[in-house]
Amino acid sequence: MGIVDLTSMGESQVKLRSEINERLSRLKDEISDYCFQCGKCTSGCEAHKLLELEPHKIVALLKQGLIDEMVNSDVIWTCMSCFKCRERCPQKVAPVEILFALKNMAVASGKQIPGNYTAMLQSVLSIGLLQDVKSVTTRDNKTISRSDLNLPKVSKPTDPTKFQMMLSKLAVEKV
Amino acid sequence: MKKYVLYPGCVMPTEQYAYEMSIREVLPLLNIKLVDLEGFSCCGEPIKSVNQMLSLALSARNIALAEKEGLDIFAPCPMCHLALSESKRILDSELGMNEKINKFLADEGLSYTGKVDIVNTLDLLHDIVGVDKIKELVKKPLKELKVATHYGCHLIRPSEIGRPDDSENPQKMEKILEAIGAKPLDYPEKLDCCGGLLTANLPDSALTKTGQKLQKVQEQGFDAFIDICPWCHRQYDSKQTKAGEIVAAKLEVPVFYLTQLLGISFGISKDKLGLDLNLSPVDKLNLGGK
Amino acid sequence: MSKKIGFFICHCGINIASTVDIKELMDYAKTLDGVVVSQDYKYMCSDVGANLIKDSIKKHKLDGVVIACCSPRMHEHTFRGVVEAGGINAFNLEIANIREQCSWAHKDKYLATEKAKALVRGAIAKAKLLESLETSKIDVTPEALVIGGGIAGIQVALDLAEEGHKVYLVEKSPSIGGRMAQLDKTFPTLDCSSCILTPKMMEVANHSNIELLSYSEVIGIDGSIGNYIVKVKKKARFVNMDKCTGCGDCMVACRLKDRIPSEFNEGMGMRSAIYMPFPQAVPLKCTIDAQNCLMLTRGKCGTEPLCVEACEADAIDFKQKDEEVEINVGAIVLATGYDLLDPTSLYEYGYARSDDVITSLEMERLISSSGPTGGEIIRPSNGEKPKSITYILCIGSRDETECPWCCRIGCMSALKHVYLLKEKLGDDVEINVCYTDIRSFGKGYEEFYRKIRGMRTNFFRGRPSEVRNAGDHLTIDIFDTTTNTL
Repeated sequence: MGIVDLTSMGESQVKLRSEINERLSRLKDEISDYCFQCGKCTSGCEAHKLLELEPHKIVALLKQGLIDEMVNSDVIWTCMSCFKCRERCPQKVAPVEILFALKNMAVASGKQIPGNYTAMLQSVLSIGLLQDVKSVTTRDNKTISRSDLNLPKVSKPTDPTKFQMMLSKLAVEKV
Repeated sequence: MKKYVLYPGCVMPTEQYAYEMSIREVLPLLNIKLVDLEGFSCCGEPIKSVNQMLSLALSARNIALAEKEGLDIFAPCPMCHLALSESKRILDSELGMNEKINKFLADEGLSYTGKVDIVNTLDLLHDIVGVDKIKELVKKPLKELKVATHYGCHLIRPSEIGRPDDSENPQKMEKILEAIGAKPLDYPEKLDCCGGLLTANLPDSALTKTGQKLQKVQEQGFDAFIDICPWCHRQYDSKQTKAGEIVAAKLEVPVFYLTQLLGISFGISKDKLGLDLNLSPVDKLNLGGK
Repeated sequence: MSKKIGFFICHCGINIASTVDIKELMDYAKTLDGVVVSQDYKYMCSDVGANLIKDSIKKHKLDGVVIACCSPRMHEHTFRGVVEAGGINAFNLEIANIREQCSWAHKDKYLATEKAKALVRGAIAKAKLLESLETSKIDVTPEALVIGGGIAGIQVALDLAEEGHKVYLVEKSPSIGGRMAQLDKTFPTLDCSSCILTPKMMEVANHSNIELLSYSEVIGIDGSIGNYIVKVKKKARFVNMDKCTGCGDCMVACRLKDRIPSEFNEGMGMRSAIYMPFPQAVPLKCTIDAQNCLMLTRGKCGTEPLCVEACEADAIDFKQKDEEVEINVGAIVLATGYDLLDPTSLYEYGYARSDDVITSLEMERLISSSGPTGGEIIRPSNGEKPKSITYILCIGSRDETECPWCCRIGCMSALKHVYLLKEKLGDDVEINVCYTDIRSFGKGYEEFYRKIRGMRTNFFRGRPSEVRNAGDHLTIDIFDTTTNTL
């Protein structure tokens, strides 16, 4: 069992997708209806200043039910999860939550996950952490690792097999 | 003497050693005892985009481990603190989710009961220890060092679920820094994001955000930039040179963890605080002693 | 003596009948002790229904009536009349609301009927205990109290006084006039606000039927409808109203001249401790601010209070005390007006961080020629002429975290300002308006909006997330949804 099952790049996880769909439609009814497109989220969006993300548009598209378009796009992965949109929205709509659901859906639909997420996920699976202990360079160009520094051992899952079992069960469970 | 389970997360123990070193040096002096536990895993927040349920379960598992010890959790990384706090809120308020998650945790003999609290470095230092106690320990005040504070995003937002400081005008780091003799000043870009989470898929965009903010800080003549999050510090300190290249600016801003600066003012030696691990030009300031 | 209750149930068309089982309810009522007749009709409030009840009262010699129908707010009054016409005292009527509280609130027929039965059971039990009551007429005191001396209070007081009633007008600040006195012009007609207001203020002052209690507050209301006993505290002005001529020499002489933020000028200008809120104040008398006056807070003001020295009418009296009076009125009108939301709570907009971020009332005072700058528009931070002025609408309104409602006047107020600013500053100054919707709903409003659109103003449809300080000016990022650009 490996990353493939977890990220469902093999077969499409129909149950998982339908549950995320449920989550999305709940978000649609509970929050996207209240958005009156004032644009305050996009005016302050950290990602918008550099990239093409427009949170208010995401909310509008969700309201229209255009989920597939968004799920298949690259723009949903540009969100930095800074939560400014959720903080400042006068109607308490949270585009960031919608984006998480869309990203989850993209993964569950078998889309290619961008960048490093696969490696991070794989690492969590095998050792419980996003990455293993690294060697770092000091300011005067020496190489040091954790063991050189008198720090206790890194905390990791004590029984990796049990941990992995739990994770694999979760991956196929509903959201 | 207050005891906490240290929940280190992923980035601090595997890469951002200076944060861990300075925490372990400074907190015992403030009567805080840190207990190390085996068995922790990632909090799940960075992979929330992949599977939110997975993240919730990972956080719940970590909280359950701490509950076994009966101690509150100290999570120095604000992203972990958000993950754990948000998961706690969900599991405390939604019975259905609580039951579901506990079924998974049972496999490892764990259960989430919601008995423990979760704190971060900022509320631990400001609310629990208190600025007065910090002031008492200052041996080498920082000579009115002009500093820019960086709270990051996850430490102060979303305010609805309760965060260690205010989301629009956070001042707790400023209070602590004043107590140790520094001079924190407000600046327009204070609440801007470091871009850290984008490193996973758009590393250059992440560094652009980092570089832009540092550029502004440098232009305004600050002596130092203070952060409190391993993700932020990795951007601003460890990757400052690269960030400078991306925004075509020569960046020479000394970047410290808040706890490192605290340690310096308490008279702790620089190597114990991991200061040679800072890649930004911290030597410029001639702080502290050997 | 056991009562004979008549039970009447109304179908209310299908409003009740489609959810509650009428027949079952009727049969159920018959089983209850005291009920001698149980009847139904489609529309009990009609003439036919009324006659049904009246006939039944006579036929069965009823002494109590219970009607299961709509809310008593609808027809209790009507049915009381019917019962009285039927020959029994009107107060022997009890209504069971099986519409608003039952058939309209529930969908399940069985459960709704069970609930209706419970409601009816209760009503019938109460009806058995009802006593006959007599209505009496009480004289209403023909005097009125109006609380609040702004334009609304002033107009009401004048209307009532013209009708021949004595009116007490209580205003908590030293002068009447309220918000309208702070405005320069009104929308959409661009009338001069003071020109409309001041004559009315004078009328109030001179009207034989109006007693103006300024610098006073209502501290207690007792009595009952039509006969209120109201306690009013007349706050001490420390100035003898009979002697003061309103000349203003004291204000100029005061040791604290220009040291206290003026409330009337929204803090944009200063005043002395002894002051008149504005030059056309009614009453035209000075007042001493007890929170700041040196004599009143510290017991001494230099060697001698300068106001006493300056006052030729010898009107200053530091020994004055608050006075409590009691008045008797038949009606009270609340006209206490509005306050502006304090934008400090929306910290991201920089109101607390920068002097150059101001509220619309503060701008109003800058625009007004009787304001702290004599009508000159300057930057509060450095006194210089601004190069650009941006209006952000809907701060704190239509906002679930502050006020969920729309303020209704913000859009028009902003458009009015744009006009006045353009008039004063010409096209040298760039004026931007960031709006979410422009609500120009009243008579002449849309035409006014059109006029402003023609005046070289930049309208951005969107809401900025924050206002940032940038050196000596402010920067605002706004995503304009009409052009999709930042």
